[in-house]
Amino acid sequence: MLLLAFVFMFATACSNQSQSDNESKDKGSSEKVKLDMWVFGSTGYEKLAEEYMKDHPNVEIKIQSTQFDDHHNALFTALSAGSGAPDIAMIEVNNIERYREAQDRFYNLYDFGAKDIKDKYLDWKWRIGESADGSFLFGLPTDIGPTAMFYRADVFEAAGLPTDPAEVAKLIPDWNAYAEVAATIKEKTGKPIADNVELVYNALRDQAPVQYFNEKEELLIEKEPYIKQAYDYTVNLIQKGYLGSNGLWTPEWGNAMEKGSYATLLAPAWMQGVVKGNAPNSAGKWLITNMPGGAGNWGGSYLTIPKESKHAKEAYDFIQWLVAPEQQLKSFKDMGLFPSTPSVYDAPEFKEYKDEYFGGVNTAQVFAEAAQKVKTVYMGKNYGIVQSEIVKALTNVQKKKADPEKEWKEAIKRIKRQLERQ
Amino acid sequence: MVSHNHTHTAVRPKGLSDKKKTALAGYLFISPFFLLFAVFGVFPMLFSFYLAFQKWNGFGEMTFVGFKNFSLIFTDPLFWKSIYNTIIIGLLGTGPQLIAALILAVALNSAIVKFKSVFRVAYFVPNVTSIVAVAIVFTVLFSEQEAGLVNATLNLFGISPVSWQTSEWGAKIAIATMIFWRWVGYNSIIFLAGLQSIPKDLYEAAEIDGAKKWQQFLFITVPMLKPIIVFVVFTATIGSLQIFAEPLIFGSGFREESMTIVLYLWREAFTNNAFGTASATAVSLFLLIIVFTTINFFASNRLDKSGK
Repeated sequence: MLLLAFVFMFATACSNQSQSDNESKDKGSSEKVKLDMWVFGSTGYEKLAEEYMKDHPNVEIKIQSTQFDDHHNALFTALSAGSGAPDIAMIEVNNIERYREAQDRFYNLYDFGAKDIKDKYLDWKWRIGESADGSFLFGLPTDIGPTAMFYRADVFEAAGLPTDPAEVAKLIPDWNAYAEVAATIKEKTGKPIADNVELVYNALRDQAPVQYFNEKEELLIEKEPYIKQAYDYTVNLIQKGYLGSNGLWTPEWGNAMEKGSYATLLAPAWMQGVVKGNAPNSAGKWLITNMPGGAGNWGGSYLTIPKESKHAKEAYDFIQWLVAPEQQLKSFKDMGLFPSTPSVYDAPEFKEYKDEYFGGVNTAQVFAEAAQKVKTVYMGKNYGIVQSEIVKALTNVQKKKADPEKEWKEAIKRIKRQLERQ
Repeated sequence: MVSHNHTHTAVRPKGLSDKKKTALAGYLFISPFFLLFAVFGVFPMLFSFYLAFQKWNGFGEMTFVGFKNFSLIFTDPLFWKSIYNTIIIGLLGTGPQLIAALILAVALNSAIVKFKSVFRVAYFVPNVTSIVAVAIVFTVLFSEQEAGLVNATLNLFGISPVSWQTSEWGAKIAIATMIFWRWVGYNSIIFLAGLQSIPKDLYEAAEIDGAKKWQQFLFITVPMLKPIIVFVVFTATIGSLQIFAEPLIFGSGFREESMTIVLYLWREAFTNNAFGTASATAVSLFLLIIVFTTINFFASNRLDKSGK
């Protein structure tokens, strides 16, 4: 096993052969440009690439789709080794933070004129794809994951609360109201308001004006009050017994969706598919309305061009076409990728969208509204470290009945210990 | 050798002597292993010794930091906790397992059991099952919820549900159980091979002398199996120092209850991009394995001497 870990770590240094292969192939056919593209999950980009190739017969695009973790690990290895990376690589929003210090491994998309299309995209989304000082652009925005509140109408009804999306939004405009409703639901039905600690905390975190780091990569959570407030709020709900304890993505967590053993799920647009998959018999019971206090974003990706690409210009032409509003609308219709271009939100497909599963609510509109409310924040390259330690602290408060203040201090210690090594 | 052959080769037009050709062919035949081992074994090992003294995030320049990586991990309580966890999980996972394996092997070796080859295959199946699949299934069994299979079973006996993933002993017992299940069959097959090499006449003689079954086991089987037991303990020790995939999948989010040394190393390298401290951890683990192997070695030597 140890050996395996080593191999993983340093196989990077030993895979120099593959690049020279690629080069010789490319030189052989100078007219036809071959673009390798790596994506993860189901993007439906294959279909769009076909369309593009029809109009651009000199370009051949090969799309390779792998599973989320494998994709990002393979990409990290290739970029670290300086060989084996594709011409176009899709990178998820949290993973893009890992590359903050690796600007030299990517093309600056501003060099290709990306400034001209900036206005078509949501500002907060665009900003994450830039370097801290805004001079370097890693990638063009693809889809986003604006968050909203999913809720079980049957649980609300049993608690004697309104069930209509507009009324629920009015009932729970902010987090104080959310806690009050949690008390009512607990009292009337015995059920928790949310299934999981993490999602409630994340929702609050996403509404903070600053999160874990500033542009200088300085840790803010001790200086700025917002994250501690989010922590305290979550702790309060935990201690009152308003939150369930199913781990995200566990089978129990999925089951609870079908059984309706909790009232709300604070989740992004792409969670619609997860809910439908886990709760096929609950059509009409899950509804969607605005998140209390604002909105956040979870997930979504960027398309980048690694420096190794020999055809950066052609690659850029393709990706800027691929993420243009017209194509994003197609991706939304085909695969449910939520567009990062607000102009699409006025399209008739959006205006008249209806989802029978979610009680005929125009979910597209709810998420479009949320998308425009997301705050522009800088995440920072060590975002994952802080997030994981805070969630650990919250889990300890819930599962071990640990003292929240002590857990918070311990978490900060653990965070600092890891940051020292960066 | 060379000069001696020279007179012969002078007669030949060109090329190597037959002897050398055979030798060369031989080396070529075995070379794939050595080449692969050099690239994927020796080089990474040496490189990680080098990296242990550098600061490197996977990109950009490495900077020499001397022993700083070591002082960083040695002052981290989580590092020591991970060593403690590894040893505890190792003991929990291998101690009872080796005893069970020996008993299973003896049972399988006795004349009473039918369908021996079926059992042998069945024993071995867990070992060739994907470790990830095993860990996922066990995660479901050891669910924290009251309705989880293990918790529900405990409930029948009036034991209140255990937080398998977040409690100090729950996590260790669950992971040790995974290791037990995965390796008990493998080790009993090895024990079985050892049992079958014990001459039958020893047992016959003992029986004539009036030795009971348990006496035969204790005074014939165990001493005769000593080399096998030493081998199994050696590999089990090294194996348990490298426990990784089970806690990675089972203990979500690198929790300290299930943090093992290799998992600590992995977190440093692949989620925190701190390859320097990761390599320092690897070097420390290497030294730790040497220490444990040495202890094992002397202990088994002792055992050998006292046996004679």
